[in-house]
Amino acid sequence: MYLWKCWRDTRSFAVVFMVMAAAVMPVTAAIGVGTTLLEKGFAKGIFISTLVFMLFVVALGLGAIGAIQEFTDKTAHFLFTKPRPRFYFVWIGWVVGCTEILAIALVNVLVGGITLAHYGKIPFGSVVFDLIKKQDVAPILIDALFIYSLTYSLTAVLRNGLKGLGASMGSLAILQALAVAIRMRWNVNVPLPPQPIGSLSQAISNLVWMLVALLLVFSAQLVVERVEI
Amino acid sequence: MNELAIGTNDLAKTYAGFHAVCGIDLNVPRGTIYGFLGRNGAGKTTTIKMLMGLARPSAGSAHVLEMDVSTKRIAILQRTAFVSEKKTLYPSLTPAELVRFSRGFYPTWSDHAVERYAQLFEIPMKQKFDKLSNGNQTKVFLLLALCQGADLLVLDEPTTALDPVSVDQLLHVLAEDALDRGCTVFFSSHQLEEVEQIAEYVGILDHGKLLMEARLDDIKSEFRLITAAGNSLPAQTSPQILSVDVEGDFHRYVVTKDADAFAAGLAGNGATITNIASLNLREIFLHLVRKETPCISGNVGATPVPLQ
Repeated sequence: MYLWKCWRDTRSFAVVFMVMAAAVMPVTAAIGVGTTLLEKGFAKGIFISTLVFMLFVVALGLGAIGAIQEFTDKTAHFLFTKPRPRFYFVWIGWVVGCTEILAIALVNVLVGGITLAHYGKIPFGSVVFDLIKKQDVAPILIDALFIYSLTYSLTAVLRNGLKGLGASMGSLAILQALAVAIRMRWNVNVPLPPQPIGSLSQAISNLVWMLVALLLVFSAQLVVERVEI
Repeated sequence: MNELAIGTNDLAKTYAGFHAVCGIDLNVPRGTIYGFLGRNGAGKTTTIKMLMGLARPSAGSAHVLEMDVSTKRIAILQRTAFVSEKKTLYPSLTPAELVRFSRGFYPTWSDHAVERYAQLFEIPMKQKFDKLSNGNQTKVFLLLALCQGADLLVLDEPTTALDPVSVDQLLHVLAEDALDRGCTVFFSSHQLEEVEQIAEYVGILDHGKLLMEARLDDIKSEFRLITAAGNSLPAQTSPQILSVDVEGDFHRYVVTKDADAFAAGLAGNGATITNIASLNLREIFLHLVRKETPCISGNVGATPVPLQ
């Protein structure tokens, strides 16, 4: 039902990025063959930075196109007269986007891991284990989920994908600027996702950032539940 | 009195100081077709939105299928099919995909009805919604509503953009199929002829006030336009006098019952009765909506005629 409809709305976007996620490392590695860059860790650097960039774009994009499209399409009267509570629609839409982000990340990590293993002549298992152990991937994922949740919530609240995207990018920029300003003025380190919070470990901080992301969606739910059509 | 499919009590809606609906008392009996009439901006759509849980009442209460709209929204929607005034659906989905989307929400969904109505309304099921003509878009909306197996059909101007043949088919479906299933049909319209063709009850709304609610047969058999000339004749409305139009010495009364007795009473007060005429729905509608002053005080009570 609504899950299928959300997937249908976002599948083109998700599939394009999934293909990019699968292609970026093999292409980079193929270009780097014959140089010493692959052995010097260049490939891993490329892998991490492409993952960060790709998930950032995917999070913003899915947040803007996946959230309660009914307001933009002017079909809210149709959806919200279906016998389901409104929070159902808010969370189903969020879950679909979340799953797509995780799938894109998974494809990127798997193909990237295989590529690194192949060209670096090291076992695939140890490449992936190394990425997880060094906390390379988890904070990137948490950051992506936070950005996605922020964009999704703002899009749902503002009832418009473009406005949601703009507000989200603006909020992220303002948060960064505020954090820098506070650090420079008062020498206080304000953590932003996915940085560790105070003395908490990265794993615990990741959980806290996840909760913050869920709270953003919950606040969007409260707004959507109150909206009159 | 029958059980009510829709019942409202002093239901009102205010938008930023504007009184869209001013304390109306609707009584829609179960298993009937009820025509909800009014001019543009009369408050019909706002009333329907409150019944469907799309807008919150500012005052009063509403019950649909004997459930409170403010607390039992999901249970109501489970048993109610709704066609909105705006006939917009997901532009990139085909009618077949819209059927697939809608089907899962309703345990009483009928695929047999989908086939039947798609054929009857000649809907191109494989064409994307935004590529359909306006008339076909309306038909898709109706198809989705009719196939739900709902106990109550709430249709907000369902014949918009439909050609005369399709209108006739729809009215036939509503009058035959829906009623056969014991379904109640509550529909708003500007098309008085359509309402007169199938409705058993009518309610007339103007400037947010329910001016009249009556059985159509009663209108035909009881309602009369009495023209009288004389001085000091009554000029106030009452449950019996639906409207009074005064021009010089001439008074024109629309009375809801006992027209002969009323005319005799006027004659007893020295009036000369110049005419007593029966009325059709169109004439009643025009008499009512041309005379009432706008609701400006907020919770002005309507003067409904009790259902018989």
